[in-house]
Amino acid sequence: MSNILLKEMKLSASPLAYIFILFGLMFFLPGYPVLCGAFFVTLGIFQSFQTAREANDIVFSALLPIAKKDVVKGKFLFVCMIEACALILMAISMIIRMTFFLDSPVYQNNALMNANLFALGVAFLIFGLFNLIFLAGFFKTAYNIGRPFIIYIVAAFLTIGVAEALHHFPGLEPLNAFGTDHMGLQLILLAAGIISYIIITVLAYKKACRDFEKIDL
Amino acid sequence: MSIVEVRNLTKEYPSFVLKDVSFNIEASRITGFIGRNGSGKTTTIKAILNLIHANGGTVNYFGKPLIGNETEIKKHIGYSTGVVNWYPRKKIADIVAIVKRFYDTWDDEAYRKYLNMFKLDPQKAPMELSEGMKVKFNLLIALSHKAEVLILDEPTSGLDPFSRSELLDVFDELKRDGVAVFFSTHIISDIEKCADDIVYISEGKLVAATSKEDFIEKFSQAGESLEDIMLRMERGIDHE
Repeated sequence: MSNILLKEMKLSASPLAYIFILFGLMFFLPGYPVLCGAFFVTLGIFQSFQTAREANDIVFSALLPIAKKDVVKGKFLFVCMIEACALILMAISMIIRMTFFLDSPVYQNNALMNANLFALGVAFLIFGLFNLIFLAGFFKTAYNIGRPFIIYIVAAFLTIGVAEALHHFPGLEPLNAFGTDHMGLQLILLAAGIISYIIITVLAYKKACRDFEKIDL
Repeated sequence: MSIVEVRNLTKEYPSFVLKDVSFNIEASRITGFIGRNGSGKTTTIKAILNLIHANGGTVNYFGKPLIGNETEIKKHIGYSTGVVNWYPRKKIADIVAIVKRFYDTWDDEAYRKYLNMFKLDPQKAPMELSEGMKVKFNLLIALSHKAEVLILDEPTSGLDPFSRSELLDVFDELKRDGVAVFFSTHIISDIEKCADDIVYISEGKLVAATSKEDFIEKFSQAGESLEDIMLRMERGIDHE
């Protein structure tokens, strides 16, 4: 494991970042907007940035014998690791919900969005938005976390709201596919979410590196 | 031999300008960096550590420019940036366990030696340390990876007289081992006691960068001490 990621995990991270990964299990909840789980995961990461700021973490990291872009890389690796853990929990929850509990009335009569592959794709997108808006936004100052997080909250809940609403529009019902229904469409939507996440995160990382290089600490 | 060469370093802020500061940091010598509060000492140190971007000038370490060789150069630098609370709730042992992974030259023997010398308990967290002990913790990290040059911002501030004396003795020992020590301070007696060279800045401008003997010879009037010289010069600057 890279030293900078280990430093992030052992020195910079708040325990809440790890505990809040469990919100990925919200994909189990019936009658609940499951994508809020993705938001709560990012709330734990936000707490880590707050703790790290109090610990003068960025200046400490910049003084280590590493390039400035490696400081950015450490933060991105840590955030992507937390997001990946949460996505794995979401995927496991979704698979169990859509196989073993397929006949459960609480899931069959779910008034809100089903935890399906489309929902997982949207979770990827929400994490991508977090990386672009919050993480890249943080590296404009390496200090200000409030403003980028507020902008991210707006973007995240708009995305959750739109994702929840879409399947109510005529013709878009397959977005709320249950179990293995419309599997081809579900897989395409998941792939779109994953590709969006990768592209957005790479762009966010490059922007963060450029911005962090310019600022005085 | 010059370990660090600073040439025409300039940094402009809206209300302060560090202008054309040039000096060398030599191997096997202790360089005291003096100036009153707000004179630009910390700005200079941040610029030579590449924490801030200079508007002009160059900083070379071991004959190589800092920009472009930062990662390699930083492995040979020890630094301490005053009383900064790094990871206040983590144990010293845990912080060190991570930091040492970044340095190929980390020396556990030196670490234990300075841990004992500074009477630091590795099971304590920085938040449990006094201000003086926090400075010692910073120094502990700086001294444990066989740095060839130490750049220290106000390392003696906040230390009791015994700890200060002990630290100055450590500087002497490091100097004998060939290490270049560069430390900023506004405690002139520390400079009088151990510095070989003096870099003196005032209001962002370099006043002198020379050996202590030459500095005293050039600026002393009627057998003044270093402290008397500094006070007179600063009053003169105030009256200009």
